[in-house]
Amino acid sequence: MRKVLWSVVMAVALVAPALAHHSPAAFDRTKKVTLVGTVKEFRWQNPHTWIEVEVPDEKDKSKLVVWGVELTSPTYLIRAGWKSNIIKPGDKVLVVVNPVRSGEPSGIFVSMTLADGRELLERPARLGTPESK
Amino acid sequence: MKSPMTIRVAAVAAALSFAAAGCTPAPSQPAPAAATQAEADAIAAGTLSALAPANLNKARPAPPFDVTSNWFIDVSQDPKAWHFYLPPYPKLTAAAQKEYDTSMKYDGEGKVYKDDIGQCWPAGLPLIMTRYWPMAMIQKPTAIYMISGFMNSVRIIYLDGRKHTDPDVIVRTYNGESIGTWQGNELVVDTVGFRGDHHWMDQDGPAIPAGEKLHIVERFRMVNDGKQLEIEFTMTDPDNWEGEWKSTKRFNRVVDVDIQEVSCLPDLNQHIKSTTSKTQVFQ
Repeated sequence: MRKVLWSVVMAVALVAPALAHHSPAAFDRTKKVTLVGTVKEFRWQNPHTWIEVEVPDEKDKSKLVVWGVELTSPTYLIRAGWKSNIIKPGDKVLVVVNPVRSGEPSGIFVSMTLADGRELLERPARLGTPESK
Repeated sequence: MKSPMTIRVAAVAAALSFAAAGCTPAPSQPAPAAATQAEADAIAAGTLSALAPANLNKARPAPPFDVTSNWFIDVSQDPKAWHFYLPPYPKLTAAAQKEYDTSMKYDGEGKVYKDDIGQCWPAGLPLIMTRYWPMAMIQKPTAIYMISGFMNSVRIIYLDGRKHTDPDVIVRTYNGESIGTWQGNELVVDTVGFRGDHHWMDQDGPAIPAGEKLHIVERFRMVNDGKQLEIEFTMTDPDNWEGEWKSTKRFNRVVDVDIQEVSCLPDLNQHIKSTTSKTQVFQ
């Protein structure tokens, strides 16, 4: 995996409402940030699964910034091929997020690419419809 | 209201009819128990537990439908259908309008105003019904038990003929106290007794408070051959808006997912960093 810093990519992202215990208004859905780093912690839980990713600081590469990545519930991640052990601390990952508007190192999940090239997404919360299968 | 003696005779008659037909009660039902005088009096007074055998076995007309299932808000026609702030909504009072205007000001600045649910306060009725989580409903003759997949919030709709609790002793809650009656092919549910703090009509956008005077009447209907449950909400709260606020939601019957244990644990927001970010405004 290429050793690059995180970068901000402007994009129009029309994402289905994520299952969240909080308002998603904090996130800027028009922006994407690509994080290339190392998994610090991965918590498979309700109401949200979350990942902490250590990423080299953009200005001082000797420092690491811990990004918090918020995902949906395992109920929906399972349907998108996730498992509780799909990543572990120390794994190299590339994660794309919609960042919080404040500029802090936090974002809501868009996609993740594993070291073996597999790409993982979420599944929309659409229970009772063919979309959720 | 039936007398205690009438009820006791009905219970005995029901037991005898089972025996005469060579039937046994359905496994989900407790064995019919002859009501004691105290139980019969409690039924008459509406103070017998909804799960007491004497209450469960009281003779009642068969309900027109059974909501027992998992359900999920239908957003197939409109992704925003889970919101209650969608038009038409009523004219707000000055106090509620101030909250609304403040929330929209911050929304325009990319901030989130008073997201109490994100801080682990209960969503409360009506929003708990339309969160993006499945809801399990279990219908008994005397009550419907609803458990939301969102924080496992419990809501109980009593069907056993009881009246609302005396306002002087009711314990106010975010889901309120719900009393349901079957009317034709509908279940009509009357809910009062709400908490008026940290309670909102919606989330993610306009902030419109829900107060202690909130009164919600829901009309439940089974539609689309039982594949969907429709609930028509009629909501009043004179401290926050004028007249009736109406909204109709549909829920899909879900057969391939069960609810899970979901808690807002003390360390959750330490890692869900958006909830503690500078985007949050609580004053």
